[in-house]
Amino acid sequence: MDKSNSPIVTASFDRRGLFRIGGLTVAGSALVAACSKSQAGELGRVGSGEDTPKLEDGIVDDGVLLRTSASIEHSIVAAYDHILSSGVLAKDSGTFPNLGDQTELVTLLQAHHASAAESFNALAVEVGAEAWECGNPRLDAIFLDTFFTRVEDGAEATDAAKAIEASDDALRDMINLVYTLEALSAASSQALVHQVTLPSTRVAAMGIGVRSARSAALVALAINPGGYLPGMNPEFATVPSDPAASADGPPQTEIPLPVAIASRFGSVAPITIISGRGDENGVRLKLIFETPSLNSLTYSFDSCDA
Amino acid sequence: MDIEVTQTGATAGAQRVGRRHLLGAGLGGAALSLLPFLSGRARAEAAPEETTTVPKAPTSDDIALLASAQQLELTVRDLYDSAIAAVAGWSDTQAAVMVAIREAHEEFANSLSGLLGREAPGTRSDSLFDGQVGSLAGTPDEALMAAAELESGAVATHAEILGALQSFNGAELIAAIQMAEARHCTVLAHLADSRDYAVLLVDEEAASLQVNG
Repeated sequence: MDKSNSPIVTASFDRRGLFRIGGLTVAGSALVAACSKSQAGELGRVGSGEDTPKLEDGIVDDGVLLRTSASIEHSIVAAYDHILSSGVLAKDSGTFPNLGDQTELVTLLQAHHASAAESFNALAVEVGAEAWECGNPRLDAIFLDTFFTRVEDGAEATDAAKAIEASDDALRDMINLVYTLEALSAASSQALVHQVTLPSTRVAAMGIGVRSARSAALVALAINPGGYLPGMNPEFATVPSDPAASADGPPQTEIPLPVAIASRFGSVAPITIISGRGDENGVRLKLIFETPSLNSLTYSFDSCDA
Repeated sequence: MDIEVTQTGATAGAQRVGRRHLLGAGLGGAALSLLPFLSGRARAEAAPEETTTVPKAPTSDDIALLASAQQLELTVRDLYDSAIAAVAGWSDTQAAVMVAIREAHEEFANSLSGLLGREAPGTRSDSLFDGQVGSLAGTPDEALMAAAELESGAVATHAEILGALQSFNGAELIAAIQMAEARHCTVLAHLADSRDYAVLLVDEEAASLQVNG
């Protein structure tokens, strides 16, 4: 081939040429990225283990919220049953010497909560959910069982802590629990108002909550006569000297007294209860009860049998 | 520094990329790269329509209901003012509770103002005031029991309002007010020395109160 007849083209890689190449590279890569369909491949595995179980979707709807409310009411009924059957309400309280026997009142309150559970379940069935006929699993396991064990049996020694005896005043703790559960029922019903979608459901929930709020006020006045408003009475209970806690022992955690009108508006804030005998440092059991949330709802795939 | 490359061949001249082509290719690539983003955004904007139909802010119907609730609260506040001034012989505890509950009703009205804005009536219901003012009288215990009955009526009224409200915000506020007023009933009856559980726990709720201007 005669090279002398071929056209000779000179391609120069000067600065402009570099810009061209750079621009084309960016545009090309953007085009490829836009058109490509990225998909991660499956992870490799070794051996033949079981597939990862797929958790069911926890859908929160009116039915789940209503049967959760029913579960809370069932838990309260069971707790009152435990208190009533123990006969502790007929005993004397060193902390609250003027409390008197509150068996009649707690029995009355228990009937209200049994009726409330039925009402919530009826509402749940109306919106297509299944009724929930047992207590709330989380409230029972994490709070109520823990409370009763600490108050009635104390706590066993561990490698890091000494044993704790049963409560120094079981009646004080039980009646404080009654106040806490009434306040919890009221707050849970109030919290339902901005979660459910039907106005009629809001009214029904508040009908139950209003009764529980009144019960809470009444129990507060039984525990703390004259405690109508915050600041009217001493803020904490005067706990009598405990023979088991020697004079040189640490002071026990103070126990706050409930108040009939605890806040200006109805509150959905957590409710704290301090109970039982203090540990070697004088620290009593502190539980914070809250209105139902994602970890305490009774979802459609949950059941009382589980 | 220039690097000279000598290329031979018949097609060499046609491969030259001009500035226009470069810009065109760049813009085209950029437009294509934006496509997935734009289409995703369009989907994201359409999604909320499928989630819920319950309004958060008060609707026009809700505003009328919340306005009547505010008138109720202002009327009750004025009734407490009247009772505190007219009844003689309040104990310190009774007076403190009456004043605290009076303040609570004023705060309820203020909260409703916050929700209603310019639509808030800001005035009491004269007809309701005139119909109730005579009952909050007599001895302190009688006035306390009348006040407990008034609170029960307010609870019933708020239940009616709650049953008609559509918005979450309005319902949430009315529920918080209703819950507080429920406790007021028990406290006032207890303060009047009632120890009857049926009275203290209000087995029979009072009739709702009529707010008519």
